[in-house]
Amino acid sequence: MTTADLLAHFFGASATGITISNKIATGYAKVGDQDVCVIGTVDGTYIDNAAALQMSEQVLDCVRSKPGVPIVMLVDSEGQEPNRTAEMLGLPVYFGHLLTCLQVAREAGHKLITVATGKAIGGAFICYGMFADSIYALDSATVGLMPVEAMSAVTKIPVAILEELSKTLPALEFGAAPFALLGGVKAVWPTDETLADKLSAAIAAATPEDTRAALGKERGGRPQAYDVQQRVLAESAR
Amino acid sequence: MSLTPYHELKARERIAVIADAGSFREILPPPERVMSTYLPKLGIPVSFDDGLAIGHATIGGKPVYLAAQVGQFVGGSVGEVHSAKLVGLLKSAARDKIPCVFLIESGGVRLHEGSSGEIGIAEAIRAVFSCRAAGATTLAVIGSDIGAYGGMGILSSCCDFRLMTEHGRLGISGPIVIEKWMGKQAFDSANRALVWKTSGGKTRYVLGDADLLVNDSADSVRAGIISFLSKSAKPDLAMVEARQASLEARLEKFGQISDPDEIWKTCGITDIAAASLAEAEDFAKSFHPQNS
Repeated sequence: MTTADLLAHFFGASATGITISNKIATGYAKVGDQDVCVIGTVDGTYIDNAAALQMSEQVLDCVRSKPGVPIVMLVDSEGQEPNRTAEMLGLPVYFGHLLTCLQVAREAGHKLITVATGKAIGGAFICYGMFADSIYALDSATVGLMPVEAMSAVTKIPVAILEELSKTLPALEFGAAPFALLGGVKAVWPTDETLADKLSAAIAAATPEDTRAALGKERGGRPQAYDVQQRVLAESAR
Repeated sequence: MSLTPYHELKARERIAVIADAGSFREILPPPERVMSTYLPKLGIPVSFDDGLAIGHATIGGKPVYLAAQVGQFVGGSVGEVHSAKLVGLLKSAARDKIPCVFLIESGGVRLHEGSSGEIGIAEAIRAVFSCRAAGATTLAVIGSDIGAYGGMGILSSCCDFRLMTEHGRLGISGPIVIEKWMGKQAFDSANRALVWKTSGGKTRYVLGDADLLVNDSADSVRAGIISFLSKSAKPDLAMVEARQASLEARLEKFGQISDPDEIWKTCGITDIAAASLAEAEDFAKSFHPQNS
């Protein structure tokens, strides 16, 4: 599906309000009758210092000029391209700035909704999409830390072993459905004509509480996280 | 008093020299056996604390929550339990409105636990901002050989403040990954001077990413930590607007150069050789950071 098709699914004719420059989408559109601000990556692009600034500028514009308008984040990015100049200029700081802008928006009353539309991998997902109040993924999206081949190359554990284990450990599997079992996305959406309605309902339902650990426990994909968090909270209160 | 090089210490040794004597109370200590269920399935030894010591303590008489990563255990990497301990500690700090200090030594997400640690880091980042919203200071202390990379580099960049030593490095992709990607011509990961000038404490301080640069001794790091415990940097629109402008200016000014010495020169350092050898605190005194 082309980016234009995808945007039309979510935003209909109002998708014309979204500009794509250097594979970064920014602008304003409508989901049903609801005005929204849109930031995102398209075509599996790499995200770098400049991309982070493009998106943060849009978030700041929204906070300044569109009080309370929900911010929709679309994610289709391969990750960050390993690059020495990007690192020298402080890539994590650029990502941290984007997250801080999103926090300022949240505190100003903007709801934050993410849809992983394509690749949602590693740092590219952490640096904005995973910061939302509610996170969703298309069923065709490839969501996760990295494919088992890449995991194998670094950990030296054979692909066959990782693939076998991933049958019972969704954390090692790559995709939208296993990521949902971990609580990392709330729901997986089929790419069809109901997307705009689903997004509209998701915006209405969003609250800022982070429920991912509880979801991961309930769905069985991340059995330890919630209990360990709660134990620390209980022990520290004594 | 301890002049022991901070970067040579292990996690609990760091806690011992940073916290007031005898004040540290560990939460979920090793005897509790709260550890990874993934690693045994991969045939990898576990650690009874999953590579992270957390607890409360006082530093200079002030109560803090304190976390120290164990770099010797799978590179200080962040798996499901490790991240859940971090999140629990941060939520405790936000609840109790007391500072949270991270002694960081981590390459980022633990690959062996896949997306579980990735989500855990994302939760920890949300919790960092809960602390900031509550006025509970979050301080990343980056002074170990491994540094703060990957998701931990991003998390560190979300804290109110970053304290670094010359040994500390702050980044996302490490030198070996970059060398593999770009080739040895572009980045020789064995060139230690270049590696440290790319991501190390001095360059990060020159560009304003580290708020304080201190000498590589336990006493200097402790004194530095104390200087932040009564401060916080609650994010607001004016703050992020100023930051947006300075990060744009940085990209404009330095986006096309590849030699970190050029950055140092542009920032007013005239004698590169002397500055490279200078002790961190002398280096820091010798010029005013751009705060860019």
